[in-house]
Amino acid sequence: MNLIEEFVQSAAAAAARVEVIPSESRFLNESLSHLIQNEKSVLLSLSNELGPKLFSKFRLDSRVIAEPSKEQLKSTRVGITDAFCGVASTGSVCVSVSRSFAVPISMLTRSHIVIIDSKTIVPRPRDIFSTHFLGGKGLHRSFSFITGPSATADMGQLVRGVHGPGELHVIVLAA
Amino acid sequence: MIKEQAIHDLPALIENLTEVIRGRGGKVFLAKTKTDAVNYVAEVCKAHNAKLAVKAKSITSEEIGLNHALKSSGVEVAETDLAEFILQVSKEQPSHIVAPAIHRSRERISNLFKERFQTDKLLDTGEQLTEFARDVLREKFLSADVGISGANLIAAEEGTILLVESEGNIRLVTQLPAIHVAISGIEKIIPSKKDFGIFIELLAASGTGQSLTSYTNILEPPLDLPILNLNGRNDIEREFHLVLVDNGRMQMRADKVLREALYCIRCSACMNVCANFQAVGGHAFGGECYTGGIGGAWTIGTTGKTEEGRFAELCTGCSRCVPNCPVRIDIPRMNAVIKSRLMKAEGGPSIQKRLFADFSRLSRLASVVPELSNWINSLPIGKMLLEKAAGVDRRRAIPRFAKKTLVKQFQEYRNASPVAVGKNDILQRAVLFADVYTNYNSPHVGMATIKVFDRFGIPLALSEVFPEGRASQSQGLLERAEREAQTLAIYLEELIDEGNEIIVVEPSVLSLFRYDYGKLIKNDKQFEKLATHTYDPIEFLNKLMDGDRVDLSESILPAAGRLLRPLDRPPAHLFYHAHCQMKTIGAGNAATDFFRRLGFEVEVSSVECCGMAGSFGYKKEYYDLSKNIGNDLIIQIKASESFNDEKVILASGTSCREQISAELSNPIYHPIEYLERILS
Repeated sequence: MNLIEEFVQSAAAAAARVEVIPSESRFLNESLSHLIQNEKSVLLSLSNELGPKLFSKFRLDSRVIAEPSKEQLKSTRVGITDAFCGVASTGSVCVSVSRSFAVPISMLTRSHIVIIDSKTIVPRPRDIFSTHFLGGKGLHRSFSFITGPSATADMGQLVRGVHGPGELHVIVLAA
Repeated sequence: MIKEQAIHDLPALIENLTEVIRGRGGKVFLAKTKTDAVNYVAEVCKAHNAKLAVKAKSITSEEIGLNHALKSSGVEVAETDLAEFILQVSKEQPSHIVAPAIHRSRERISNLFKERFQTDKLLDTGEQLTEFARDVLREKFLSADVGISGANLIAAEEGTILLVESEGNIRLVTQLPAIHVAISGIEKIIPSKKDFGIFIELLAASGTGQSLTSYTNILEPPLDLPILNLNGRNDIEREFHLVLVDNGRMQMRADKVLREALYCIRCSACMNVCANFQAVGGHAFGGECYTGGIGGAWTIGTTGKTEEGRFAELCTGCSRCVPNCPVRIDIPRMNAVIKSRLMKAEGGPSIQKRLFADFSRLSRLASVVPELSNWINSLPIGKMLLEKAAGVDRRRAIPRFAKKTLVKQFQEYRNASPVAVGKNDILQRAVLFADVYTNYNSPHVGMATIKVFDRFGIPLALSEVFPEGRASQSQGLLERAEREAQTLAIYLEELIDEGNEIIVVEPSVLSLFRYDYGKLIKNDKQFEKLATHTYDPIEFLNKLMDGDRVDLSESILPAAGRLLRPLDRPPAHLFYHAHCQMKTIGAGNAATDFFRRLGFEVEVSSVECCGMAGSFGYKKEYYDLSKNIGNDLIIQIKASESFNDEKVILASGTSCREQISAELSNPIYHPIEYLERILS
């Protein structure tokens, strides 16, 4: 099994929804448009992990908010961000803490759509802290491993969606 | 081990960490006492005119009494972890590290919310309850002035904090308000974040069984992140305070036994496998803040009072926590030391403790006239006296002393049928260890072993009878246990050096030789020898078969077939309960493997421990708990395949057999005893 397949399997096991698409603007636009078909607005924040060209088409969608107001941050249901890497063994995506709105978007919304480049998938969590992977990028930033939706078992059964998003969609851009 | 080294280097790590975080513009405060810690946090809140703090789960904050202190200085603290939130609403203390509210049922939570929040909303399902709590807490998040978190680990070299969670509240606490205070015990510091990966993988494996909890946060605050001021404040700069709490930890570090508790990563695996903890929960098996087997050392360390750790007496030494601990803390040993310290503080052992510790001497006396001893012990007056004077619960049947000890029976047996094989035909020299219980109470198990081994060309010799140290250790008489162990180890080493393997039928004694002696005899080489040359009898037979030294199945199978054929059914269903300590030393499957090889169906209990734990179940104060735990095992046996009164139950522990036979009339054997029955 290659890393992409392992990642897809682990992420699905952690209750994320995963799709693998070609790394092209039109395919990405198609996937995103489908995912947000019922939304009036969506938040979008990118931290230059992926080429801006990929979003050239999607950005034109009038529902996309790139510079959200306080009210929009509090009330928008769906947020889209990129992640700087994925972890195959756990199905995690790693979202950087940065000057962008990726952090607030990925923690305040009900549904988080996250996009990763398949080339950034590493085998295990420990590999992110090694200089052998990602050019040591993981060693020099604050970030969160996000593994499936927010969850709790404290109410006597497993419930998804507590303080963080109850849905996590991962779009993997394959070469 | 990373943690061990880190605790060793702690002062330097603290210095390094402080420098790194200050260099980045953060603030570090090293709090000697809990008062220092809470005062500092209160000052930070005051400086920012904070009225509301959102807080993530932090045991250290419980330890220092943070919520109470902040409340009295006018700051509302909102616990945001759902379990903690429920507890805060019901004003209880947490009783379990990872999932503090698991002992509350959904219905009780629902009633609690309805009462506290005066709501008519439907609160029947987990989803409804969660949604309701989320809404209440989202309001808090959006208006909080300060976020307070703990830390799972801190990397000194990079000043990085690791925070693991599943709900998403820790992300909000640490990244929404501009002011973040992290409170952490100093023991959480490790050298570098390069080691985080392995801990993340460990925590995932031992905590809740998920691959990884939803959020694992790697933070180097103060964070470079937009300040949203959703709370209506006008903060322009992110501020980070790290409060490092000592509060007795340096004292623990200097204590060669309690020090090991500092390696704990709070994964709670020890509590999940602890039969006593599962039965009584953290309120009984815990102190103000720290609970379970590991809790005794922590409570003593952070309160500075040995007396506060008295609940460590609930540790039976079953040792199931040891192999389940990702950092392999020897919790039973720590608790034995705590028991010993408590006893010394009280001026010596109680009559009860002396009675159980002296089991070997008493047995020798009682066995002079066993009929008389058994008769007295079975009389109501005898039982009443034992209960009054020594706290032995009168509802327990007192172990019966055999009419003839194993030593006597062995002599008579060998006199009547001397070893037939010539010296050169002996497959393996081996000695049966005559432990106290087997010698005085269950000599038939010892004799069964001798007879079985005779058949396979391994004529066993019988050892002298020595106290092994188990009884002394479990009563907290540690120095005495050490003396007994050291004496016996010399004797056993000689036997091994002469080319003997040592066969031990009593699992609690076998696990002493293979595990506890590592610390009791203080001689690594000697311990290594004992640990590798002592065997459970069935385990030894498996080894011979594995090594192709003998095809036991050929000798056994026809006999087994004879026994089973007349009944005209496939090989019988057996129920096997593995002794807790046998599992820890890796011999828990020996009997299962063996009898499955012979074609038997073997069902295995899934309970960690029968609850008897040697003397524990005899004590008046623990009788009910012991029965309660044992009940899980009884239920499993009754639910087993084709259960009836005839069904054969196998258990290698004498006390496991006691526990089971008090409730069931089924035939119960030590596995080697059952094998002997099949053969004859």
